[in-house]
Amino acid sequence: MSYLTALVLAVGFGVPLAALTASLAQARVGAAALEGMARQPEAAARLQFAMILGLAFIESLVIYALLIFFVLMLKLPNTADVLGKIAGP
Amino acid sequence: MHAEGASSLAGEHGSWLHFLYQLGVPKWVEEPVLNCWFLILVLGVGLYLATRRLDVLPKSLQNFLEWVVEELQNFTVQIMGPQGKVFVPFIGTLFLYIALMNILGLVPGFLAPTSTLNTTVALALCVFAATQYHGIRTRGLWGYVKHLWGEPFWLGPVMFPIHMLEEFIARPLSLAVRLFGNIFGDDTVIARLGGVAVLNVLLGSYFVALGAFTFLVQAFVIWLAVIFALAQALVFATLASVYIAGAIIEEE
Repeated sequence: MSYLTALVLAVGFGVPLAALTASLAQARVGAAALEGMARQPEAAARLQFAMILGLAFIESLVIYALLIFFVLMLKLPNTADVLGKIAGP
Repeated sequence: MHAEGASSLAGEHGSWLHFLYQLGVPKWVEEPVLNCWFLILVLGVGLYLATRRLDVLPKSLQNFLEWVVEELQNFTVQIMGPQGKVFVPFIGTLFLYIALMNILGLVPGFLAPTSTLNTTVALALCVFAATQYHGIRTRGLWGYVKHLWGEPFWLGPVMFPIHMLEEFIARPLSLAVRLFGNIFGDDTVIARLGGVAVLNVLLGSYFVALGAFTFLVQAFVIWLAVIFALAQALVFATLASVYIAGAIIEEE
């Protein structure tokens, strides 16, 4: 039973944790890019390009977590089966 | 049947190219790869026909294509320097091809070829082969090994395994998984949202509003997926050009 509990907790908490930290990091990237664009509007295009790149990099780390989520999700058992086992013969 | 549709993963819905399996395509070829062949056919034939008679003063379609090529050239040279002009076909093809593949998944009736690891790993292997080939061709085999050994000579035993790991495992893997995860995730979310929306609309009176709202959410997610498709193509092409530039540029 504890294996399934751990599995469900991992499935539930994996992506949200990654999303939490990634959103903080992306906020910093966005803030730095915006500050640079405000200081020097003629460099806005280059800054925007670099910002998009930085955001995609950070997002790809969340995608790795999403991949693990997909793998673990396929290992979750059927709710009907588990309830049947708990209920007993 | 609709509950089944709502609870299955995106990869389990098909495209109109499913008939090819009856025509003799083996079962181990996944359906996104069939869509890949379709796109290659359309792009190849279409662009060949579009560039058959080139005018000196270009008209609409040729003008547009020339603008696309010029922008790709600027983009590649910006990252790789003036020696990057040789790589414009490769990097440009990567960007256009991946962008179109990603967007193809959002067209009704098609699957994104990049929503399977087969395609993305193949693309990452192409980039890997290109970096190794150009690195060894520019620096020679011993020069390339020295490049992997690192600058402070005494740090070599630490940097060399790190660089080997990075070149052979981390870079191709991250390229492939980044592209695959983004596109597969987007398509899965869109398919699930569509399934939930249809399920709610079919369920009954009070659920129709929820279904309509889910349709709106799905429309928004599709718009986001278009933007992310282009961004992922840009990231892939940028990383490919950065890797090749890192392999060939002599830092003196």
